[in-house]
Amino acid sequence: MADSISSVCNLAILEKLSDGSIEEILESYNGFCAATDTLLNGAGDLSVGPQFVSHVHGLCKHGLESLLRDHFLDALERTFEKNGALKFWRHFEAYDDVSVEEEVFYNALEEISLEKQYQEKCLLILVHALQSYNHGSHDSNDYRVELFAKYQMSVSSVLMATLPRHFPEILHWYFKGRLEELSTIMGGDFPHDDDEDDDDDDDDKDDMDLDDKCKVSYRSGQMEIDECYPQGRFLDNNKLVNNIGKVVRDLRSLGFTSMTEDAYASAIFLFLKAKVHDLAGDDYRISVLESIKGWIQAVPLQFLHALLAYLGDSVSYDSVSSGLKSPLASCPSTFYPGIDTPSEGLVRWQLRLEYFAYETLQDLRITKLFEIIVDYPDSSPAIEDLKQCLEYTGQHSKLVESFISALRYRLLTAGASTNDILHQYVSTIKALRTIDPAGVFLEAVGEPIRDYLRGRKDTIKCIVTMLTDGTGGNPNVSGNTGDSLLEELNRDEENQENAGLDDDFHTDDKQAWINASRWEPDPVEADPLKGSRNRRKVDILGMIVGIIGSKDQLVNEYRVMLAEKLLNKSDYDIDTEIRTLELLKIHFGESSMQKCEIMLNDLIDSKRTNGNIKATITQTSQAGSELGDNWVSMDVFDATIISSNFWPQIQDESLNVPGPVDQLLSDYAKRFNEIKTPRKLLWKKSLGTVKLELQFEDRAVQFVVAPVHAAIIMQFQDQTSWTSKNLAAAIGVPTDMLNRRINFWISKGILAESLGADSEDHVFTLMEGMVDSGKNGGTNGSIEDLIVADEEGESSVASVEDQLRKEMTVYEKFILGMLTNFGSMALDRIHNTLKMFCIADPPYDKTLQQLQSFLTGLVSEEKLELRDGMYFLKK
Amino acid sequence: MKVNILQWHAVASWTWDAQDETCGICRMAFDGCCPDCKLPGDDCPLIWGACNHAFHLHCILKWVNSQTSQAHCPMCRREWHFKG
Repeated sequence: MADSISSVCNLAILEKLSDGSIEEILESYNGFCAATDTLLNGAGDLSVGPQFVSHVHGLCKHGLESLLRDHFLDALERTFEKNGALKFWRHFEAYDDVSVEEEVFYNALEEISLEKQYQEKCLLILVHALQSYNHGSHDSNDYRVELFAKYQMSVSSVLMATLPRHFPEILHWYFKGRLEELSTIMGGDFPHDDDEDDDDDDDDKDDMDLDDKCKVSYRSGQMEIDECYPQGRFLDNNKLVNNIGKVVRDLRSLGFTSMTEDAYASAIFLFLKAKVHDLAGDDYRISVLESIKGWIQAVPLQFLHALLAYLGDSVSYDSVSSGLKSPLASCPSTFYPGIDTPSEGLVRWQLRLEYFAYETLQDLRITKLFEIIVDYPDSSPAIEDLKQCLEYTGQHSKLVESFISALRYRLLTAGASTNDILHQYVSTIKALRTIDPAGVFLEAVGEPIRDYLRGRKDTIKCIVTMLTDGTGGNPNVSGNTGDSLLEELNRDEENQENAGLDDDFHTDDKQAWINASRWEPDPVEADPLKGSRNRRKVDILGMIVGIIGSKDQLVNEYRVMLAEKLLNKSDYDIDTEIRTLELLKIHFGESSMQKCEIMLNDLIDSKRTNGNIKATITQTSQAGSELGDNWVSMDVFDATIISSNFWPQIQDESLNVPGPVDQLLSDYAKRFNEIKTPRKLLWKKSLGTVKLELQFEDRAVQFVVAPVHAAIIMQFQDQTSWTSKNLAAAIGVPTDMLNRRINFWISKGILAESLGADSEDHVFTLMEGMVDSGKNGGTNGSIEDLIVADEEGESSVASVEDQLRKEMTVYEKFILGMLTNFGSMALDRIHNTLKMFCIADPPYDKTLQQLQSFLTGLVSEEKLELRDGMYFLKK
Repeated sequence: MKVNILQWHAVASWTWDAQDETCGICRMAFDGCCPDCKLPGDDCPLIWGACNHAFHLHCILKWVNSQTSQAHCPMCRREWHFKG
């Protein structure tokens, strides 16, 4: 092969040469080739050196310097391929997977490095030979560098060309293994753990509480500063790092620089990721950010520091960074054990690692954000972590997207109760308020929840319940979350005082100045379409009201619930209601709560009037005492007197109360008329509460019931069996109503129902003395028997929907008239027309949705027809 | 069996014993209150004139005080005298 090349290449020059010189050249060249072969394959034998040099000189004389140089490099390359690369790869051939033993790896590297060193020595001989011939006519140093670069290039190209596919993996696993080793040495057990609590430390790891974690990071921090490793361990770790350093250096010299860097970087990142996942876990009650940072300091940075120091990088970087003082280097909060000024390379690494850790933790937390918010008050450390991560990475939009999809998937489904959704919404508001005080992301996240809640019928009711009573209307939810809204009312009390909800302008200059100085620009992610002229108030109540759209609906619902509550009160104790009302007044403005205030005022007035009447009344039926048993004293009688115009519509049903009570009512009304002339009382006999005691021969049972129940049971005093028709006539209610109401007594086991002669006419019989085996278990007169009659879902106050329907019927003839004239109309046209023409008494003030639901009602009553969004008269 | 009533808490609404529903001056319900008042009932009473027309006290007072000479009942134009 060598001969063939030489004969081809030399042909051109041959003509100019004399026979003698040809002879000489051929001889020198053959000698040179032989010497090269011996040199390169001679297994470390440099004895042919002088001979080699003389041949080189011989060839140079004839100007064949480049030829011999190329030949030599070519020979080097081929030898390297044969002796170095193939052998090197053979070491790994046995390992199909990536788990190469450390020893094998070291040996292979060692061998190929030796080979390379030897070849470099040979190359050096050539360089010297050429230099000695030329006597410095070249810039000797440049020449040498050039040759070595060529050699280096050929070495790496040989290796790259023969690279087995799994080699990068092998490198990766090697570094991973070493890192794990290092981590166990450095980050693992701490010196003092060894003596006392080594064995239970492992067990404790999972459920370490906050204190422990802090201690750990503190300890590791201290460890770094004081460098208080036990000597042996320190040496171990030094040896390990030195080994790694050597490996990296060797690999670099073989031309694997970037592959090596990739390998250890990816190993470090993977390891860091695993560590973050490990530390963060599913426990949101502890903050993990600090311990992660501590760990980065303790393990990977130590590793990199040692590595960079070993490779001599830190020194070179040091000199640069001290001059440049790059912004990266000005990171004051970090400590680097062992070195005073961190090298720039290390700072870069630290920033990379921290960013990666933040990002990993952030991603982890974001995917679990739903769960975190579910246990919000407990999980605030996790929220705090997430906040810091996001400040660092700025990937808020990721949070918004992921959280919205989690919400859609998990919360906004038909299976979730409105209460739960509201609670989650409140928690979300609170949690995101921490992360993002300006409320920009909250707006984005809240939107789907609000939209969804608007579609639910019981939303308003749930909100009002949450607002007014502590339990949030859902006994399953623990009290503290239910309290939240009421507490929110309290908490915001002082904030709201200077920033009235109704008017947003501040006449007070000072206040305006304070507001102006508090202004902060919106984050860049803010949607400019959503006006931000007023700084967003992250006000939970405001956002809750925002669900409904207008506070009027909320106030209305509250009024209905308040009425219900007040009418069922048997004492006049309204302290909690007054307090709630005062708080609501602050939020919704005095005028909108006016009616509610009158309702409460009625209760207060009633108490006074009631006392007044009872003190001054002269019971006309004094003689009634002679009637004996059935006489009822005025002492047990109280009344609530309401200003009916200001209360929600009350469903008043006719009822004949028992005679003695009726007598009381008229006496009371008469006295009222005397005191308050010219006002008079109209009794709403079916409303109120009655506390009564059923006295049987062997026992007595107490109940708190509605008047209708009392009227029913009192009829059984004289006559133990009634047919439903007769009983209904006696107490003056319709039969179906009676049948419904009487169920209460049947369910208590006081009355029994049986079919009478007429199948329509049931017979009710008093169960005298048979009830002991029943539900009440005979605990006579004890508190358990004080059963409050449930209304069986029938409230005395008309629900908001019923009221709405009633109010809308006024417009029915308008709508029908309109449709007669115009033929067909779309929803919004009907709405606008009503708004335009029904301006007086009662003015049309309904929303589009309300109108739509009313029209839907008319369609189902077959008065209207709906086709393609147009309403028609049904023909 | 005997039923002992331990407590009977009834509910009633009050109303002005007037023939009309609304005040002829402010057109508000008698059982409500005049536009200047917040609370109905004792705080915003009715008053009858000699002609037997009733108004919110505050409403008719405003009317009477605004008249330079003898005031007349806004409903029947008879001379206004408070019913004795």
